[in-house]
Amino acid sequence: MFIDQDVCEKCLDCRTVCPVGAIQIAETKFVHHFSFQVVIDYETCVECDVCRRLSICPQGAIKQVDEIPYPRILRAAFSDPMFRHASTAVLGRGTEEMKTNDVKNEFTKDNVGFSVEVGRPGVAAYFRDLEKVTKKIVALGGDFASYNPVIALMKDKSTGALKEEVLNEKVLSAIAEFIMPRQSALNVLAELIPFINTELKETVATISLIARNEDDGEHSFLRKLEAHGKNHGYIPYLNGKVNIGIAAVKGGNS
Amino acid sequence: MTHTLNRRGLEKDRPGEEICVLCMIHHKNKNEKSSKAMRELVKTIIRYEPNNLIGRPLGVSNEDIVGLCGAAGVATAVFTDKDAVRKLVQEIKAKGFGLSGISVVLSGLFSDIRDVCEYAGLTEHTSNYPVGIYGKTSLLPDYITLEIATQCGHGLVSRHYIKDVVRRISKGRLTAQEGAELLSKPCVCGIVNKKRTEEILLKMVEQSPFVEGNEVNYAVRRKRKFS
Repeated sequence: MFIDQDVCEKCLDCRTVCPVGAIQIAETKFVHHFSFQVVIDYETCVECDVCRRLSICPQGAIKQVDEIPYPRILRAAFSDPMFRHASTAVLGRGTEEMKTNDVKNEFTKDNVGFSVEVGRPGVAAYFRDLEKVTKKIVALGGDFASYNPVIALMKDKSTGALKEEVLNEKVLSAIAEFIMPRQSALNVLAELIPFINTELKETVATISLIARNEDDGEHSFLRKLEAHGKNHGYIPYLNGKVNIGIAAVKGGNS
Repeated sequence: MTHTLNRRGLEKDRPGEEICVLCMIHHKNKNEKSSKAMRELVKTIIRYEPNNLIGRPLGVSNEDIVGLCGAAGVATAVFTDKDAVRKLVQEIKAKGFGLSGISVVLSGLFSDIRDVCEYAGLTEHTSNYPVGIYGKTSLLPDYITLEIATQCGHGLVSRHYIKDVVRRISKGRLTAQEGAELLSKPCVCGIVNKKRTEEILLKMVEQSPFVEGNEVNYAVRRKRKFS
């Protein structure tokens, strides 16, 4: 993304819409005066396309290059929800995870899904931050979710190491998703939280867990999380996301 | 794509304030039959008048939204009326959309979702529980800003834009409703709750240093900034 200086009228209306503050003022000082340009900082920009899509520039000065080169294209792949990942065919940066679990039954009563989304909310992250998490997941014995675009970034799935050329690419967020046996899930969470607090020095991460409800819909795993959180310094949110099992009704795969 | 998760600001003492509805066809079940069912489902969603809907922030017409959701195999909307969601889900069940391989996910207070499920004769199947934000949390904006920013799970609503909109409302250049409309635009999934956003903006304006009589707040902020 760039601003065409021949077209820009320096009204500054675009400055605030950038989620990562990449639209900046570049000053040039002369002896008796200074001039400025409105620019998109190449390193800060995550190619989310918000500035262009909003059509906030009446002159149309915000433009995209004809083709974003690799590995920079990964910024768009992980930051622009209109960009479809070739690796998953899903719009967005994660997987279908529990959203279609009433069809696929990937999450059972014997396991728990984890998602660690680095950069969220609104901070952004480098893939080098993500790599710290993916390596930790391997150390914890986690089984990476398939169809997650993060898998395509890996140099070695057995270590969680990512390809060197992607490490310094910055994205709005990236999600590491993995599955653990239910009996070890709380211990894993207890280890993961302090790890992230210690190791993510440049960004933040949200953590969430996926669990099957009981047959009567009861959130028994949430009750366990609430009790566990009291001893480990976290409180599960009152709100979350629930697959209501429509596809499992009458002849589904429940 | 945990994008309706991690929303901040929902409280038990304000039940029914918002419920997001996401419908998705499992990628291996995408075919003409499931696409057709998705198109019908989206028409049903529109009939129940969501506060916001996928594609609307881009100015896409309802007719085109129906077609696009059928092709993409996914639809998202946010409601501010729990009773509408109850009836919508009941209709989705009665019409057998699930038999076409469409999954339905609700996001909101777990207690609200329980109400909806009980009304429709369903039970929660699988749940996603957020447990917080970790790492260098000093980089986060204040909580009230997060109440708006986290409504776009893809992180496209800029904290700077929120601040700018608050400033413009404070100076009388925008109404809170117009401000909410502006802030809903970056979120292409159409899950920014414009009604809730408007109420949050009004709260933010009350504390804004740009409003006459709020100089004390401004002084406090300056002090904090330089201390």
